[in-house]
Amino acid sequence: MPSLADTSSPSRRVATVASLLALACVLGMVEALLVPPLPVPGLKLGVANVAVVVALTVLDPRDALAISIGRVLIVGIATGTLFGPVGAMSAAGAIASWALMSLLAGAGPRFSPIGWSVAGAAASVTAQLIAASATIGSPSPLMLMPVSLGLSLPSGIVVGLLSRLLISRISREVTPAIA
Amino acid sequence: MTRGDVGIIVFLVLATALSAVTMGMAQPFTEAAATIKGPGGTTTVDLSVDGTIVIEGRTGPVVFEVRDHALYCIDSSCPDRLCVRMGLVRPGRPVVCAPAGVSAMLNTSLERGGLDAVSR
Repeated sequence: MPSLADTSSPSRRVATVASLLALACVLGMVEALLVPPLPVPGLKLGVANVAVVVALTVLDPRDALAISIGRVLIVGIATGTLFGPVGAMSAAGAIASWALMSLLAGAGPRFSPIGWSVAGAAASVTAQLIAASATIGSPSPLMLMPVSLGLSLPSGIVVGLLSRLLISRISREVTPAIA
Repeated sequence: MTRGDVGIIVFLVLATALSAVTMGMAQPFTEAAATIKGPGGTTTVDLSVDGTIVIEGRTGPVVFEVRDHALYCIDSSCPDRLCVRMGLVRPGRPVVCAPAGVSAMLNTSLERGGLDAVSR
């Protein structure tokens, strides 16, 4: 799907970024407050990544990074975890996930949003476990890598499917001139 | 889903399997002692003696219990209490409380490991 950055007006672009940021924050808050935490420290389903994947499709990587970082900051402030180990883990996971997904998105039609999401989920849990090891000062969280990577596969597929559904809806709204 | 996506999934499955095998091979455990690391230092726990250990973490105390030669995390002051949900410290699966900065894992063995036979 072509980037719409050069066809959207600046105001439409800002509105789209703001909408996706709001979506990411809501999904992040719902996951943090309502979804029972998985028995692996720092591991989350990453449902908020839906907004980042959509941004990579209908906007560009820079906007997707803004949404990803913005979500970490806002959810971190709202849950009081921004300046602690959990905030560091969230930031590491968000940046690693965005970096790998941007790389795959730039590779063209070889990969779809599902592939981006699966790779992004794996990168996110890996970065979170590395950050946890660094903050604790012990490599013991890395021993949870097999379970974390295993759980990242279904979560990445779910996020990818949700993203594809949302992309099919949002594309018509963002660019009504494109059929 | 494209062929590239399938490739990513296959790669992830292989990476998961490889990490599981690597973790399983790298750490032979005695299961006679455990190490708990926290902001205040490292505590070695003898699993043959039942008792309660309180570790002061960044967010408050994290409580461990030795019972029947096993180590459990039974209480924590962190919001999610993931460490309490994990409970038992198993070989190859440490219990970690990220907000408190506390981790507990079974000790490795220096006596085990190495070659059991010599090939000619």
